[in-house]
Amino acid sequence: MMRLGWWLIRAQFLARRGATALSMLAIALGVALGYAIHLINDAALADFSRAMKAVQGEPDVVIAARDGAGHVPLALIDLLSRDEAVAVLAPVIETRVRIGDTPMLVRLIGLDPFSAAQLMPMLLPDQANDAMGRLLDGAVFASPALAAKVGADTTVIRGAARWQTHIGGELPAAPAGERLLVADIAWVQAHFGPREGVGEIRIRLHPETPLAAWRASWAPKLPAGIELRAAADNQARVSNISRAYRVNLNVLAMVALLTGAFLVFATQLTAVAQRSTQFALLGVLGLPPRQRLLQVLVEGLAIGVPGSAGGLLLGFGLATGFTRVLGGDLGGGFFSAASPEIDAQTLPAAGFFALGCLASLLGALYPAWLNRIQPLAQALKTGFAQRQRPGAGHALGRDLLLILVLTVGALALTRVPAIADLPLGGYAAITLLLILGIVSAPLATRALFGALARAWLPAPQKIAVQNILQAPLMAQVAASGLIVSFALTVSMVTMVSSFRTALDQWLDAVLPAPFYMRSKAVPLPAELLADLARPDSPFLRVERMAASSFSLDPQRPAVALLVREIDRRQPGARLPFSGAVIDVAPTEIPVWVSEAMQEVHGIAVGQQLRLPLLGRDVEVTVGGIWRDYARQFGAVVMSADDYLALGGHFEATDLALWPRPGQEAVAQSWLRGEAQRLGVEAAASGEIRELSLSIFDKSFAITHALEAAAMLIGLFGLAVTLAASIWLRARELATLAALGFDRAMLGRAVVLEGAMIAGIGLLLGLACGIGVGAILTEVVNPQAFHWRMPLRVPWTQVLPVAGLTLLAAMLASGIAARQATRMPAARILAGAQ
Amino acid sequence: MDRRQFLLTPLLLPALATARPPAVAAYATPKRGHVLRFPADHGAHPKFRTEWWYVTGVLDAPRAELGFQLTFFRTRSGRAEQLDSPLAARQILFAHAAISRAGDRLRHAERAARTGLGASYSTSDCAVQVGSWHMRREGQGDGERLRLRAEDRVLGLDLTLTPTQPLLLQGDGGWSQKGTRPELASHYVSWPQLQVEGRWRVEEHSHAAKGHAWFDHEWSSEVLDRGSVGWDWIGINLDDGGVLMAFRIRDATGATVHAHACLREASGRIQRYASAELSFVPLSHWQSPRNGARYPVQLEIRFGQHAVRTRPVLDDQEIASRRPLPISYWEGLVELEGSLHGHGYLEMTGYAASMAL
Repeated sequence: MMRLGWWLIRAQFLARRGATALSMLAIALGVALGYAIHLINDAALADFSRAMKAVQGEPDVVIAARDGAGHVPLALIDLLSRDEAVAVLAPVIETRVRIGDTPMLVRLIGLDPFSAAQLMPMLLPDQANDAMGRLLDGAVFASPALAAKVGADTTVIRGAARWQTHIGGELPAAPAGERLLVADIAWVQAHFGPREGVGEIRIRLHPETPLAAWRASWAPKLPAGIELRAAADNQARVSNISRAYRVNLNVLAMVALLTGAFLVFATQLTAVAQRSTQFALLGVLGLPPRQRLLQVLVEGLAIGVPGSAGGLLLGFGLATGFTRVLGGDLGGGFFSAASPEIDAQTLPAAGFFALGCLASLLGALYPAWLNRIQPLAQALKTGFAQRQRPGAGHALGRDLLLILVLTVGALALTRVPAIADLPLGGYAAITLLLILGIVSAPLATRALFGALARAWLPAPQKIAVQNILQAPLMAQVAASGLIVSFALTVSMVTMVSSFRTALDQWLDAVLPAPFYMRSKAVPLPAELLADLARPDSPFLRVERMAASSFSLDPQRPAVALLVREIDRRQPGARLPFSGAVIDVAPTEIPVWVSEAMQEVHGIAVGQQLRLPLLGRDVEVTVGGIWRDYARQFGAVVMSADDYLALGGHFEATDLALWPRPGQEAVAQSWLRGEAQRLGVEAAASGEIRELSLSIFDKSFAITHALEAAAMLIGLFGLAVTLAASIWLRARELATLAALGFDRAMLGRAVVLEGAMIAGIGLLLGLACGIGVGAILTEVVNPQAFHWRMPLRVPWTQVLPVAGLTLLAAMLASGIAARQATRMPAARILAGAQ
Repeated sequence: MDRRQFLLTPLLLPALATARPPAVAAYATPKRGHVLRFPADHGAHPKFRTEWWYVTGVLDAPRAELGFQLTFFRTRSGRAEQLDSPLAARQILFAHAAISRAGDRLRHAERAARTGLGASYSTSDCAVQVGSWHMRREGQGDGERLRLRAEDRVLGLDLTLTPTQPLLLQGDGGWSQKGTRPELASHYVSWPQLQVEGRWRVEEHSHAAKGHAWFDHEWSSEVLDRGSVGWDWIGINLDDGGVLMAFRIRDATGATVHAHACLREASGRIQRYASAELSFVPLSHWQSPRNGARYPVQLEIRFGQHAVRTRPVLDDQEIASRRPLPISYWEGLVELEGSLHGHGYLEMTGYAASMAL
């Protein structure tokens, strides 16, 4: 029996070399894509946490101010230090500074060498030459990446604060590639604050301390504006950063796998049809039905196993190459550019291997079942039997009911909120919609061509129409590949185009000034601001913004706080609001939050919020919700006047600049010079817009490749099934030839059949595609990335693709027809007896 | 991380102190004739460069061969003196705890922090803290106690010390001379024969504690002259209720630069011995496998009509450190034999490397 199975598989592979290879390739691609994403992300996260551990140590708990302007008070340090559960307590002040007047921005870490020795030894200088003493004396130590670039005497600058110091030596154990300076915490505090405390304290607990209980005992004692994060929170935070991006890439991998499953389905279905006589003969000779079922499943697995194995190898290669070239952030820009080490482990590899095999089994399931239930006698006589549906009216009702259920189900699923931050409902709705497209294929076929069949048509055309109407299964199979692939293509094109249009409009709204200047997370130098304020500066108007961040939830990435010079009565002049804007009472503090805040934290217009700002809880009112494609994790805008009134320091990090009329060129060259000198970024709004759009186009470039792949697979599926169905009808064609049809007429009939099937596929694919596109823009994007955008179908891209696909389908059927009619009709008819 | 790699000990205090002349930091100098007042002088004296509160003790149970030591050191490093920050590392505190048992290795642990970031002291009474470790005086009259607590993974001490005898002001009313120059001196107060109760622990094995302890409180700005390399010191609670303290300061050749001893008999009669009346004679050495230093663990000390010998309960009671500086010293439990008998602590410094105080 084994030998028979092996022999059948071999024959099957040899007979359908192209189809088998392509099915394997699709499975391999799906496995490779999923596995590569897993490997890269794993490596990037490991790399990221390694770097974080080196800089942060491995504290069990971090107690930190929730916003950049807050601090952990000294009294709390005193209290915590006396707790016997605390083994090490390391206070830290970290800030970003500029070195001298150079364009270098670096991290300055103020630490206490006594505690750092136990928690963050990699951040300490070598013990030689009284380094510890010099550290306490106010020397700064530089990481190797930085040490080569700075002189012995140096000025560390942050905004208006300057610290004249000297480099005491190197930090030999600091992570490679990190540009950082380490100084004693007191010196950092004296020059850059915070005045009455430190930025955060990192705590290592005694090993036997129960973390949860300890945390619960301290949480109520913490003052407002202070948050307690456990190590697990930090991991969740890091993982949350790239989560949605990763999941979406994984969905693409799933699509590739499902495509593979579909190809196995198409291949095996035609294989079953073509070998029905063989199987019937074997059945008569004693091969039990169960064995016939198993044989087809094993054949599917025979595609899945090598496909998955190849996929693992390909995935590993992809991951290695990708990280070498692009770094570990999957192009998402979330992690540093350092290329992480790929570490392949057995369990995930086995998991992806199993997924690939599962996809191939899934594809083979229906053909295997069909093979099992073949009536032997009929199959022996006339070949593959398509079971007629019992009663067309009953089938119609059942189809309609199924369509209704699927539609309602899909609609309901789009209403499901994100589960664990993932748009699972949206994904399920997309799946239902694709099934809906496939299921409605026969119905649509009957509706479109039923009338046509009754009309008077020339014989070849009539034959084509009749064929489609009477062999719905083959037509459905052939069309379903196109439906799915075209739907995916249309949806992706629609999503990308909607997003790009929205981004374009958004850029218009957020870039009102001709020029911009920014210095990431470091206040702009005071003398630059002074120069801009001078009467002879080439600028008419300068609007300042201070960007920082605060933490609303320890497990989520920080929310951006944008303190802006903005007119609180007319925020709409500067912010692209997506809904109503309300007037906030003069006694209240208005903030305007981005859509991500609305999405993640469920914030609504008019709502009162308590934000952890300036070391306390500040009561604010949401005045409006604006669109923000720049900060995925949320942003809150507050007016500079309100922030100052609250007692905050307004240190500008970003500037919007309007040059004096006629002085645009002078202004631009002045800005360029200053930017070069100070290491800040300056750009005209046009450049920012161009850059943003080009980054967008680059990051979505991969989707075009996926669209092309999807279309090719869909076309291939169509060609394979068409060829199979024509091969099955060789006798019918031969009879027609004997009746006087010439080859051209037969060819025309087959090509028309192909075109009609393709047409149905494309039509349904287009409808589904627009539906899926709508789900992507309305459900998936807001839930996963917190980005909203209006739906826009790019007909100029969709229609040409549809036309090309139709032509290709006709071409494929033409080739199939030529092959089928090449054999002399007499021989076929004779062989059939 | 291996704690030994970053062992911070009192002997590193000088390494942390600045090389600049003390005048810059304006350290105070111990004054002869200055009258000490208690409890205020149990508290810290932050104007001085170095200060320690040093408790050593011998437990009776299960036998008299178990010693413990808990010390809090304060150093005014002379660094960041002008820095305008509440976090400035002007005063740094270290705490060191050790348990010595015959037949076991020395167990020890330490803590270090600057004031404001995990350490504090009082200037009005003995109350000093580094992290969760603390030493403080509580109560008045009969209720007067010293409370000690130091819990670490490797050991734990939770002890109450009850006085049975009055304070012993060393030297001249608490002014203790350390060399020929008058600046080479400290203020030095001892409180011997304290009764110990509480618990001690090595790793997870905790036991009741009962025994006798010795409390030293000493503050100074300069004690070692140029050419001096270290000292030998003993503090012994005698079995008959008397107490003996003796020290000498050595030069590189091992010769005594300055020495002093004080014997308070059980009756309360105090006898003091000056340099010339005192001799230290090494009887046998123990050589450290870590750094090759040879410590005279059996010392004969002769003063007046007395001749006493130290017998260590454990040869290796050396505390060795490689970082931040390669500095090692010997500090451990000894039995005193000869004309006087008792138990107490012997400290020997400057054998492995010169003490640059």
